[in-house]
Amino acid sequence: MTQLFVERFPDQARLVRLAFFNSFAAFGIGALFGLIQALHRTDVLRIVESPTYYTVLTAHGVFLVITFTIFFLVGLYQWAVTTSLERRPVDMRITKAWYWLMSIGTVIAGITILAGFLDDPPEVLGSQLSADVLFTFYAPLQGNPLFYVGLVLFVVGTWLAGVDWFRTWWAWKGDNPGARIPLPTFMVLTTMIMWYISSIGVAVAILAFILPWSLGLIDSLNPTLTRTLFWYFGHPVVYFWLLPAYLLWYIVLPKLSGGRLFSDPLARVVFILFILLSTPVGIHHQYLDPGIAEGFKYIVMTNTMFLLLPSLLTAFTVVASMEHGARQRGGEGYFGWLDALPWRNPAFTGMALAGLVFAFGGFTGIVNAGMNINYLVHNSAWVPGHIHTQVGTAVALTFMAGSYWLIPQLTGNRLVWRQAALVQVLLWFIGIVFMTNSMYRAGLVGVPRRTAEPQYAFEYDVGVGSMTELDFQLALGGFLLFISAMLFLAIIFMTWRNSESEPIVDGTIPPALSGPEDSPRVLDNLRLWIAIALVLVAIAYVIPLASIVTRGGLFGPDIGPFPVFTDPMILLEYGSKLIGMVVI
Amino acid sequence: MRISFAKLLLLIAFFIVILVEARTVFAFFGIDVSLIGIAVTGVLVISALVLWAIRPGNDEPTEP
Repeated sequence: MTQLFVERFPDQARLVRLAFFNSFAAFGIGALFGLIQALHRTDVLRIVESPTYYTVLTAHGVFLVITFTIFFLVGLYQWAVTTSLERRPVDMRITKAWYWLMSIGTVIAGITILAGFLDDPPEVLGSQLSADVLFTFYAPLQGNPLFYVGLVLFVVGTWLAGVDWFRTWWAWKGDNPGARIPLPTFMVLTTMIMWYISSIGVAVAILAFILPWSLGLIDSLNPTLTRTLFWYFGHPVVYFWLLPAYLLWYIVLPKLSGGRLFSDPLARVVFILFILLSTPVGIHHQYLDPGIAEGFKYIVMTNTMFLLLPSLLTAFTVVASMEHGARQRGGEGYFGWLDALPWRNPAFTGMALAGLVFAFGGFTGIVNAGMNINYLVHNSAWVPGHIHTQVGTAVALTFMAGSYWLIPQLTGNRLVWRQAALVQVLLWFIGIVFMTNSMYRAGLVGVPRRTAEPQYAFEYDVGVGSMTELDFQLALGGFLLFISAMLFLAIIFMTWRNSESEPIVDGTIPPALSGPEDSPRVLDNLRLWIAIALVLVAIAYVIPLASIVTRGGLFGPDIGPFPVFTDPMILLEYGSKLIGMVVI
Repeated sequence: MRISFAKLLLLIAFFIVILVEARTVFAFFGIDVSLIGIAVTGVLVISALVLWAIRPGNDEPTEP
């Protein structure tokens, strides 16, 4: 057994622990709000008034899909880069800067959201301190400016983290000329390239339009434009959540299975495909939006369907790796090898089940992606059903299971309550099936999402069972998920404190069966993939955006952009007029 | 035990999932299974599974 990560890189282990601490704190808060929502929507227990439901909904979304996932990502990626390049960051000040930027951003945005629970929120920057704008914070919903400031700091923090990892790689490259990029680092770099390309959309939406609008600097904006910019970022952010889970499936799961990764080149191809395809697909979230030509929606649908390719490649590679591991452990037969897998290991079982749910959720994603059939489920409970199988399980359950393997290496402590950890991952699996089955079925009969009162006075024609049964199933699923989440936090907390123990974990990652030497070097040519990705983005977005701006104006019909610094020509024109007036 | 505790838990979890999803699938083919029916089936099958799992296997020594 090699030295633990905490022994080799104590300062890096501390930073990863801090990032995970933020992630898990957000997870606990978000899970509590999830339970409140599940019980409120189903009318089982209502501890808040229905208008306050939207504060709960916003907090649930932001704390889970922004804070929990992305803090876990930065912690995991810091571990991955450090351990695969065997070196610390070039400048720890940058490392600390991104951690603190993200933390401060979270606190600012979090306070703004939670202030919505106050009876009389204070006035800050010209408006009430609240942000009941949901995770998808586009117009016409408007939050306090501090919410957007917090988000900006958070996103800038992630950009800086990417710079930090690129610098570490460049330093390593200088010492290892001609060497292939180690796979974990390759995954980190490609994820960050995708993130840079995509998050520019939300940055422009906030900085140029939504933040000035919330500050009262401009009177209006073009909702179609800001929605399109949001979804330009809003679909790739899904892969920003998912790719750390992919990293764990490719790097850790084969090892836990008792074997090695089946194919390093296939893993590289998958991550490259995400650079190319994850951004020019965002408009599939806007199939029902007016103002975007059907032809472009069709192009986007085609791009979206291509995204099945990396998912199917992943299913093949990861399952092949698991089978190889099982056969190393004595497994035999067509399906008999499944019995040889280490099911008593909660880290393995959690990741394997997460992968299984991901496959199922992928099929429901095809429904979302199909332009015609999307109309059936758009804005219905089907969509949160899909997101809970994907980010709520494929990602979240993988993170939890991965933590059972990572935390002992980061703390030097033995994982406590292994059987309880196994129960925890199984409980999540059962809970998510109860909850999402109910959501999918409810969505098919038109039960809406994003509302505290999904039933109003309607009588839904539920195909199987009754609406009461669906509600009960959703509430039960939400309850099981909450119990599972609390059990996870308790196990992690107790492991963190279990300092008088020796961990039983081997952090070594065996080389892949088919290594990077079996693939063409062009796979590591990141500049080439960036260039192709930008071309695809231009094809998918330039004409739709130009059309939206031409028809609706940058800030809405007949509204000039002054005093926001987004159009240099108008600013120049205004400046020349001003100078002219002064001269005259 | 015929199988490990971990595998027993896993089988129970899978069976619950199959029960939840099976009702929807059956209905798709026009076979309506009542909630009570599926719950009773679940309890019976899981009980049988547990009883089978905790009995000593053929190759396990029995208490004298």
